[in-house]
Amino acid sequence: MLKVLRDLFRHNREFAFGSILVLIVLGIVVASFFSPYPPLDSYVVPPDIPPSWDHLFGTNSRGQDVFWQLSVAMRNSLLFGISVALISRVISVAVGLVSGYVGGMVDRVLMSINDTFVVIPLFPILTLFYFMMHDHMSWALLALAMASLGWPYDARLIRSVALSLRNREFTTQSIFSGMSTRQILLEEHLPYVLPIVFSTTLNNINWSIGLEVTLSVIGLTNIETPTIGTMIYWANQHTAMVAGVWWWVLAPVATVIMMFIGLFLLSVSMNEFIDPRTRLARMGV
Amino acid sequence: MSSYFWYVLRRLGQFVLVVFVGINIVFFVTHATPIDPVEQAISSVTQFGQSDPRAVEIMRKALRELYGLDGTLWQQYLTFWKRLAIGDFGPSLSAFPTSVSTLIGQALPWTAGLLSTSTLIAWCVGNFMGGLAGYYRKNRLLKAVGIVATGLQPIPSYIMSLVVLIVFGYFWPILPISGGVEMNIHPGFTFDFISSVVTHSLLPVLSLALITIGGWFVGMRSLVSNIVSEDYVVYAELAGVDRHRILTSYVMRNALAPQLTGLALSLGGIFNGAIITEVVFGYPGLGTLLVRGVNSGDYSLVLGIASISIIAVATAVFAIDLLYPFLDPRVKVR
Amino acid sequence: MKAAIFCLTASLLAGSISGQAFAQASFLAGIPRNEVLIAENPEGRVTNPTWFNIWVVNHGSSSNGLQQLGMDTLWYIDPDAGIDGVWDNSLASEKPIYNSDFTEMTAKLRDGIYWSDGVEFTADDVVYTVETQMKNPTTVWGPGFLASVDSVSAPDKHTVVFKLKRANSRFHSLFTVRWNACWIMPKHIFEKQADPTKFEFNPPVTLGPYTLKSFDPNGAWYIWQRRDDWQRTTLGRFGQPGPKYVAYIDPGPPDKRVILQLNHQLDIIHDTTPEGVFTLAKQSPSTRFWFKGFPYAHPDPTLPGVIFNHNVDMFKNRDVRWALTLLIDMKAVSMASYRGAATISAIAVPPTGLYPKYYFDALEDWLKNFEIDTGKSKYKPYDPTVAQQIADMLRPSVGDKIPKDPKEIAAAFGRGWWKPNPQVATELLERAGFKKAGGKWMKPDGTPFSITLLVEGDQRPVMTRAGTMIVQEWRQFGIDAKTQAYPSDFFPRVASGDFEAAMAWSVETWGGHPDLSFFLDSWHSEFVKAAGERQPPRNWQRWSNPELDKIIEQIRAIGFDDPKGVELGKEFIKLAVQEMPMIPLMSYNVFTCMDTTYWTGYPSAETDPYTDPVPNWGNTKYMMIKLKPAEKK
Repeated sequence: MLKVLRDLFRHNREFAFGSILVLIVLGIVVASFFSPYPPLDSYVVPPDIPPSWDHLFGTNSRGQDVFWQLSVAMRNSLLFGISVALISRVISVAVGLVSGYVGGMVDRVLMSINDTFVVIPLFPILTLFYFMMHDHMSWALLALAMASLGWPYDARLIRSVALSLRNREFTTQSIFSGMSTRQILLEEHLPYVLPIVFSTTLNNINWSIGLEVTLSVIGLTNIETPTIGTMIYWANQHTAMVAGVWWWVLAPVATVIMMFIGLFLLSVSMNEFIDPRTRLARMGV
Repeated sequence: MSSYFWYVLRRLGQFVLVVFVGINIVFFVTHATPIDPVEQAISSVTQFGQSDPRAVEIMRKALRELYGLDGTLWQQYLTFWKRLAIGDFGPSLSAFPTSVSTLIGQALPWTAGLLSTSTLIAWCVGNFMGGLAGYYRKNRLLKAVGIVATGLQPIPSYIMSLVVLIVFGYFWPILPISGGVEMNIHPGFTFDFISSVVTHSLLPVLSLALITIGGWFVGMRSLVSNIVSEDYVVYAELAGVDRHRILTSYVMRNALAPQLTGLALSLGGIFNGAIITEVVFGYPGLGTLLVRGVNSGDYSLVLGIASISIIAVATAVFAIDLLYPFLDPRVKVR
Repeated sequence: MKAAIFCLTASLLAGSISGQAFAQASFLAGIPRNEVLIAENPEGRVTNPTWFNIWVVNHGSSSNGLQQLGMDTLWYIDPDAGIDGVWDNSLASEKPIYNSDFTEMTAKLRDGIYWSDGVEFTADDVVYTVETQMKNPTTVWGPGFLASVDSVSAPDKHTVVFKLKRANSRFHSLFTVRWNACWIMPKHIFEKQADPTKFEFNPPVTLGPYTLKSFDPNGAWYIWQRRDDWQRTTLGRFGQPGPKYVAYIDPGPPDKRVILQLNHQLDIIHDTTPEGVFTLAKQSPSTRFWFKGFPYAHPDPTLPGVIFNHNVDMFKNRDVRWALTLLIDMKAVSMASYRGAATISAIAVPPTGLYPKYYFDALEDWLKNFEIDTGKSKYKPYDPTVAQQIADMLRPSVGDKIPKDPKEIAAAFGRGWWKPNPQVATELLERAGFKKAGGKWMKPDGTPFSITLLVEGDQRPVMTRAGTMIVQEWRQFGIDAKTQAYPSDFFPRVASGDFEAAMAWSVETWGGHPDLSFFLDSWHSEFVKAAGERQPPRNWQRWSNPELDKIIEQIRAIGFDDPKGVELGKEFIKLAVQEMPMIPLMSYNVFTCMDTTYWTGYPSAETDPYTDPVPNWGNTKYMMIKLKPAEKK
């Protein structure tokens, strides 16, 4: 496994670049556990100091050190993104595998539901959801809501893989040897699907963090929790750009863009690696 | 031909399903909200002016009657669907008694304009450049464009709009960063009005186009690079057909079909991006209206906008589905 | 192919250059810039822009210029000093005349006032306004009239007589503008409508000195034009209003407002963040504020504070309320919320308008001697130098913008506040039965002492920041305190009583006039509701106290201008200090920024405090008289 990763790193430029970006971001996240300031407190340092040796990314108008705030914010956003991605993976794998394998009426019904969710514009629904939940809104609930809206795109993808697996020899062999549908799906097909699932997970993390940032910036989430979105929200509240406190906006935007691009490059290069045709094409065959 | 008819019927069924499910979700979510529009109205009136506690009770009773907030949930549900059939969403609760349909009618053209312009630009330019990049694999300039496009693709719409706003609002302020049109110009087919609308739309369209262009570019490029190795293309090249002709008539035409499906699938996402972009730039479309509705607790308005969004996107997808078989004769209209 | 790329680049460049040309073209097509005053409409984009019927609840917009420039009513009280004294007889020719037991009020009206369509204003318009709204309780002032008025009549063209259902010595306040009041309806327009509550009133027929010129069908801007017959309006007594045109626009979020003023495209910013103000102060030499230096902002006659819900058990005990007060470091709260640009108040009236003279100076000695007895020790909590300390704290970084004169500091920053003292707080809490166990405080019943402070969120960022700071200070003491943001339904939630404590305001006053009935009358125990019911404004804390009732009833029995009113006001303040029903913090500072590039004559604290500079007050019309075009440089 490690040898594969090392080879990828050496030969695949996208993988290398992507993993470097992601490692930088993860480094910042790990640093958050060593933060000298309690993350929820404000006015612990003098406000509006530009980046300097004392404060790597400067301080913001709320009297917080931007670097340490960013580390906690990135950690929260990443945790949120990962939880949404994981929950929605479960749904999309289940739907995709069952739909592709069983086919027929079940397939048609599941795919109709799937397409419905693909078409419905998410943002109005999420704002409505916030509207309804109000002060009962918690990050867990939001994650659940987003996960239940974010599975359809990838379910289709998994379904097409399942379709091709259905007609393979080892599948017919499993049926003849008396395995139940559930056993076949879990033990035979799932391992094939996992690499694709992994790369879609990375994309899904991007998507959910993007949506979290959007909702937070408008103020529709719990603004007391430091996340990338709420950092930008507070910067807007204090008219940071106009007041010249540009580092408060640049730090979260740059970091989150790094993470998006990094994760994306990783997912693209893994996809390429998994698909034998493209892998061969890279080698120049 | 009859198979096409069945195809249309199936697509129509899908369309109806989408609209039905979507609007049901929207209805139940809005009616589960704890916000009471009568109390909202009372608090907005008494917040500033003189307030006599004796008067508040009188006002409360009168408003309850006026807003028609009686009846069980089931009755409200039935009334809602009856009204929806004629396009009536009832009065807006924060701008009483103007109807929600009027408010949406004012905002919709702006959103529609923004969406269609930017989608068209992004799709055409992205596919065109992607096609070129996929075909002329050695070209350095196209490779560079490819890297930029890949970089742009994962960035969420809010961040992109924010960056565009900062660049053109603070560093290089040559374009207006808010509003739909300059002040004191009356709408009409005058040069002043049209040019003002165009300049105010440049930045939102730019943001929205940049968000989606990366995806089309990358998708087209990989599609084209697959098609290039197909037999008929190799044959045409060997036969000495002009390279430009191969690119347009043989390669890109075949790649367009899957891209069109892609367009249909991503319309929902593009719509999201449009709404967010509008909020950032203060563009007077559905996005700004929606956020104001949420902030003032006006659930009629929010319900109306969400329903219209669902119907609009579903209709667009349906239209593309109908056109698809004409573009790609290989598709079996089972 | 290369040609294609070249064409693309060239067209983009051309587009951007022409875009630049367009952007620098006239900002307001067709109107010379030096003839129009551009002000911010704090409501932003108006949702139903074509609706001008200001009498219906939840109408579109009042702050788009309609109430400031188009409407008029009988009397105005200025939140500051007024052009010619605090009280102005606008449509009325003299002050209201009451009978001896306040069951009848007579108003005499001016002669020679005309509507913008040429019809004369008479007492019939006033009678029509009252009767129509009483018939339609979904109007803004209908319920108010229904609660007080028995009948109204016009014995002649310039006299209106009200017969009241009950004694009400402040009935005239329904027609007295403090931000707004009952505006007079044009009888000759509305009586032609089948249902006055469904009438759009577009374009409006105005009684004020301006009429509507044009507006954006999307609600982003409204342009008003001075009437040619301005002498026939109530403002005509003072002279010609300066600006020929006044535009109210939606300028976008706070940072865009600052940019617009830096580009001289917005003359009056209604409100922005303290940081935005500091930027303008540094970069724009033509911008003026209410104070010439720090804290720049105009203190509105509203008093934000920590509102305790007296239906919640733990807040029923005065010791608990005082203990929480003694944990707050007002300097830190001022820095966190307003970056120091706050005008603090230790007592339950706002430090604005003429109140410093009536109440603050008069009570300073009493406050210094006020003593709390915890049973274990005696403590004098008032620190008269807190505002001075804030000024001293800011001087190193802000420098000469901070005033040095103690009188100026008192006017700008306030006077004293309560000194934090954790030891005394501990003694008070222990007397109330609370115990500290392992660093955390416990209530008498053994459960943890936790407080959730409701804040409004991003709709009111300064208050949210103050709340966050206060909660942090309580947390440091060992109380499990946190904030909860509730942006879109905040005031109804406070009214419903579904909160423990909230960052809100229950004290709002006239500003220029010392009478406290504007808010105090509603604090009477007859209006206090039990838990689960909605509390009518403004006694959000649901505090009832027999001594308070006595004070209120005495105020009700005397006339509006009776000097005994000030004495009774002082008694209220003393009672509120002893009981601490809500913790007063500071006045509601509004960061109004005025650009003198095109117009001069704005009100200012030091030289000419003739009205509130905040441009969405009904009183804003008085600014129009004093504003003159700036000299060409």
